[in-house]
Amino acid sequence: MNSIAKDRTLASRAYLKGVVADGGGVRLSTSLLLLDTVAAIGFAAGLAGGVVAVPQGVDAMLPWALLAGASAVGRGACAMLAARVGASGAYRAKTQLRQRIVDAALHRAPGSDATTGTLMSAAVDEVDAMDGYVSRFLPARMAASIAPLIVLAATAIASPIAVAILVATVFPFLAAMILAGGAAADESRRQFLALARLSGLFADRIGALPVVLAFRAEEREAAALGDAAEDLARRTMRVLRVAFLSSGALEFFAALSVALVAVYAGFNLLGLLPFPVPEKLDLGRAFFVLALAPEFYAPMRRLAAAYHDRQAAETAAERLAAVEKARVAPLPVAPVWSSAAPAIRFESVSIRYDGQDRAAVSDVSLEVRAGTIVALVGPSGSGKSSLLHLLLGLAPLSGGRISIGDHDLAEIGSLAPIAAWMGQSPLILPGTIGSNIALADPSASVERIAEVARIAGLSPMLLARGGLGAVIDARGSGLSGGERRRIALARVLLKPAPVVLLDEPTAHLDAPSEAHLIAAIARACTGRTTIIATHSARLAAIADVVIDLGARA
Amino acid sequence: MTAFDTLIAHERRRQRRGLWRASGYAAIVAIASVMLLGLSGWFITAAAVAGLAGTIAAQGFNYMLPSAGIRLLAILRTAGRYGERLASHEAAFGALARIRPALFLGLARGPVEHALALTRGEATARIVQDVNVVEAEFVRLSAVPSMIAASASGMLLCALRGLRPAVALLLCLAGLLTLATVLARRLEAPGREVQRAGGALKDAFAGVADAAADLRCYGVEAQAMAAVEACSRRLAKAQRAQAGVAGCFEFIQAVMLGVAGIATLLLAAPAGAPIAALCALAAVMTIDGAGPVLRSLGQRSAMREATARLDDLLPGAVAEDDAVAIDAAPSIDLLGAHVPAGARVALIGASGTGKTTLVEQLLGLRAGKPGTAAIDGRDIAGIPLAVRRATFGWAPQDAALLAGTIRDNLALGDPLADDAAMWAALADVALGDVIAALLKGLDSWIGEHGVRLSGGERRRLALARAYLVRAPWLVLDEPTEGLDADTEHCVGERLCARLARTGQGLVMVSHRPSMVALCDRHIVVAPDPVVIVALPTDTVPQRRRSSRD
Repeated sequence: MNSIAKDRTLASRAYLKGVVADGGGVRLSTSLLLLDTVAAIGFAAGLAGGVVAVPQGVDAMLPWALLAGASAVGRGACAMLAARVGASGAYRAKTQLRQRIVDAALHRAPGSDATTGTLMSAAVDEVDAMDGYVSRFLPARMAASIAPLIVLAATAIASPIAVAILVATVFPFLAAMILAGGAAADESRRQFLALARLSGLFADRIGALPVVLAFRAEEREAAALGDAAEDLARRTMRVLRVAFLSSGALEFFAALSVALVAVYAGFNLLGLLPFPVPEKLDLGRAFFVLALAPEFYAPMRRLAAAYHDRQAAETAAERLAAVEKARVAPLPVAPVWSSAAPAIRFESVSIRYDGQDRAAVSDVSLEVRAGTIVALVGPSGSGKSSLLHLLLGLAPLSGGRISIGDHDLAEIGSLAPIAAWMGQSPLILPGTIGSNIALADPSASVERIAEVARIAGLSPMLLARGGLGAVIDARGSGLSGGERRRIALARVLLKPAPVVLLDEPTAHLDAPSEAHLIAAIARACTGRTTIIATHSARLAAIADVVIDLGARA
Repeated sequence: MTAFDTLIAHERRRQRRGLWRASGYAAIVAIASVMLLGLSGWFITAAAVAGLAGTIAAQGFNYMLPSAGIRLLAILRTAGRYGERLASHEAAFGALARIRPALFLGLARGPVEHALALTRGEATARIVQDVNVVEAEFVRLSAVPSMIAASASGMLLCALRGLRPAVALLLCLAGLLTLATVLARRLEAPGREVQRAGGALKDAFAGVADAAADLRCYGVEAQAMAAVEACSRRLAKAQRAQAGVAGCFEFIQAVMLGVAGIATLLLAAPAGAPIAALCALAAVMTIDGAGPVLRSLGQRSAMREATARLDDLLPGAVAEDDAVAIDAAPSIDLLGAHVPAGARVALIGASGTGKTTLVEQLLGLRAGKPGTAAIDGRDIAGIPLAVRRATFGWAPQDAALLAGTIRDNLALGDPLADDAAMWAALADVALGDVIAALLKGLDSWIGEHGVRLSGGERRRLALARAYLVRAPWLVLDEPTEGLDADTEHCVGERLCARLARTGQGLVMVSHRPSMVALCDRHIVVAPDPVVIVALPTDTVPQRRRSSRD
C-alpha cells in the first residue's frame, strides 16, 4: 500500500470513528458475543459429561443434558440479543449520519460538482454501508481479541497440551487473515467504485430513454450495459477469488487444528503417543477439548467474514467526508432590507462551476429596474437558471459584481430573505395542501392562504380533493406537474417579498394551462422586481424587457 | 408466472451448470462437516474405551483409518466450501450481469409513458437495491441441496444405532423448518418495508435536493430535512426490525441444535458411548447445515417484494404488428397536410402550440390521436414503432446526450459509422474544429448530460447525431437555438448541401427566420389543430431579430 492509500485509509478510519462516537452499543454486543462463548463452553461440557455418563444410564446423563440444553438456549439468546443490540447501534449511527449528510447536501457550497444522483447515493446507499460496520464488524473485532482467550483458559483446565496445539496453529491462521485483509483491500475498494459507476450509468440511460428509443438503440444500449455489467462481474470474481482463497486458508487452518486436537486426544487416550507428555486425558476431558476446539477459531472467523463490511464502510466514508466538506457556513452578515422593491444590476457577471472547463455564464451585464419584470430567454445551457441561482447564493460568482438596491451580493451572499421563488420542480413536503402553501409565510391566516390558492388557480383541485386540509403524503399524493406549479405560485403570492424569481414556471404544461398560469403569474408579479427565465414566448410577453442570452453566445 | 419470474427462470437455466456445481460442492461440504464431527467424537470415545481396556486392546485398535479419515474430511470440507463459494458467486454474477440489462430492455420495450413516469430515485433503487436482493438469493440457491445432503448423512449416521435417533433428528429438522416457515410468514412485514422505504427515501431526498432554491427562499430547510428524516427513520426502523427477525431465526436454530444433540445422545445411549457421541455430534452438525435455508427464509419477504418491484419494471412489451413494408423514400402527412418525399417543411407557431409534441408523436414517444400524421399514406397509429423510428433521424430540443464520449453519442445515430463519417457529420454542424482541438478527439468524455460542452455545442452534437441516422427524413427540433448568426448561417448552408446530397426530407421546428427560410413549405401548428399551408416566407411570425440578421 503506498502512502497516499495509507493516508486515505487513515482519514476514513478517523471519519468512521466519528460516526460511532456514541459507541454504537458495541460494548454491549461484544459482551453478548463473549457470553455466547461462555455458553459454548457450557455446551461442550454438557456434551462431554453426557458422553462420559452413557455407561451409567440415562439418569446420570440427565444433569449434563440439562446443562447442554440450557447452554444451547443461552447461545441462541446471546446471538439474538447481539443481533438486536447491533442493529440498534447501527440504527442510531445511520440516522444521525444521514441527518448530517442531508444537511450538508442542502447547504452545499455553490458550484460544487455533486449532482442529485451522487448525493442521493451518498445519503442512502453509502450511509447504509455503515450498518454492517457498526452492527457486525466492530463487535466482531472486539470479541475476536478476548473470546479466544476465554476458550484457551477453559481448554487449559482440561488439557494444557491442547492449548499448546491451538496456540501453535493460530500463527499461520493469523498470517492468512492478515493476507486476506490486505490483498483484497485495494482491489475491493476499486470494486465498490466500479459498482457505483455502473449504477450511475444505468440511471443515465434510464434518464435518456426517449433518445435511446427514438434511435432504436435499446438493444445496443442494453448490450453495452450488459458488457459493462459482465466486465464488472468478471472483476468482482477476481476480487472474490482472492477473498475466498484466503477465507479457505482460514478454514483450512481451523479444520487442521481441530483434526490435530482430535488425533492427539485419541492417541493420548490410547496411550500410543510416540513422545512422552505430562498429562493423561480421560474421555470427559478429551471430548470437552475436542468440542471446544472449533470455538477457539469461531470469533476470528466471524471477524474475517465482517472484513467486507469494513471495506464498504471505509469506501463510503471517503465519499461522505467529501460531501460534508462541501458544506458551506451561512454568512454572518444579515442586512436590513426595506420592503420597497429594489433594482438589481448585473455588471460583467461570470459563473464558473468547479471541475468544469468553461464558464456557465460569462460577462453578462443587465439591469432590472425596481418593480419591473425582465424575461431571460435563450436555449437551455445559456445560463438563465445559473443567473437566478446566483442571486440565491446557489451558484458561484466567479467574476463581476451584482448590486441589489444598496447592497453588494458578494457581501450578503444571497437575496433569499426578500425573494419568492417558483421553479420547475417545486418542493412538496408531506402535510396538507394548506401547510405546503404556508411554507412561504407560516404566520399567514387561513383566509389569506385560501385567497392566494384561489388566485393561483387551485380552486378546481381543492374542490376535487376536499379543501386546503387535504393530506399530501411523502410522495406528493399524485399531484400533477401543473398542480405543483400552482402551489408554488400560491407561495409566491403569499410571501410578501419585493423580489420574485421564476425559473421555467410554465415548462411542460399544455397550452390552456400555460395560458391560465401566465395570467396568474402576471398578477402575482405586479409591482415587484421580477426575473423570469423561460423558453415560452407567451410568458416572455408579460415582461417589460426581454433579454436573449442565447443571441450573445 | 410473471415476466420477471420468467427472466429469472431463464437465467437459472442458463446458469444451471454453475448452480449444479455449487449444489454439488455444497453437498460435499455438508456431508464432510457432519461426518467430520461424528467421526471425531466416535474416535475419541472409542479410543478412550480401548485405552481403558488395556494395552492389548489399544494396540488392536485401528487408529490409522479414523485419524486419516478425520484429516481427509477436514481437507474435503475446506476445498468444497471454496468450490461452492466460487461456483455460486460465478453463477449469481453471470446471471445478474444479464438481468440488469434485461430489465433495462424490458423497460424500454414497454409502454413509453410507463418508463418515463418512473422517478429517478425509484429507478435506481430498483436497479441497485432490489437487484442486489435477487443476487443474494441466487448465491443461496445451493442452500437446499446442502441441507438435504447434511440431513441425509446425519440421519444415516444416526441410523447406525437404529431408527429412534434418526427419527428424532428428522423430527427436530422438520420442527425447525416448520417453525421457521411460520416465523417467516409472521415476520414478513420488515423485509417488504425495507425495500419500499429505500425507494421512498431516495425519492424524498431527490425531491428536496432538486428544490434548493425553494428551500433558500422560504427558509424551510428544517422542514425539508424533517421530511427526509422521517423517511430515513422509516428505512432504519425497517432495517432494525429485519435484523431482529434474523436474530429470531438464529435463536430457534441454536435451541433446536441443542435439542437435537441431546435427544440423539440420550436415544443412542444404549448403543454405547462411542456411537452415542457420534450420533450427537452428527445431529448437531445436521441442524447446523440447515443455517443457509433459514437465512434464505428470513430474506423471503424482502425477496418477494424486490421481485414484485422489479416485475413492475417489466410491464410487458407493447404488442406490435408485423413489419409493414414502407417505401424507401416515403411521403408523410402532418396534421392533414401532405408532404412528398424529399421535401423540406417547417413547423411553425407560437411556443406551447404543440410542435414538439407533434414530433414526439411521430417518433412514438407520446400517444397521439389518429389522424395526426401518416407515413406513406398510412396512419402512424397503425405503423410499428420500429418503422416509425427508422423513418426519422431526430435531433431533440433538449440535446439529450448520453454520459459517455463524443463517439458513444454519435454511434447512437449509426452504430456502424466509421471515424470519417463521424468527422464529416461534425464538420456539417461546424463542430469539427472544436472536437479536433480536444485532447482525445472523438473519445473525449462529455460528462453527464454533456456538461463539459456549452449549450450550443451540445445542440450541434445532437444535430450531428441525427445526420448520421440512415433515415429518409430528418426531424430537427430547434436545431440552431443558442447559436450565433454566423454559426447558424454556416450550419444552415451545410444542412442544405447535405440534404441535396442525401435526398433526405426535412421536418424542422424553428423560430429562426433564416432556418425557416431553408424550407419550401410551412405548416402552422395551432393549439387547436387548424392547419394552414403557407408558402411565402414573409407570413412567418417573427419573434425577435438577432442583431446581425
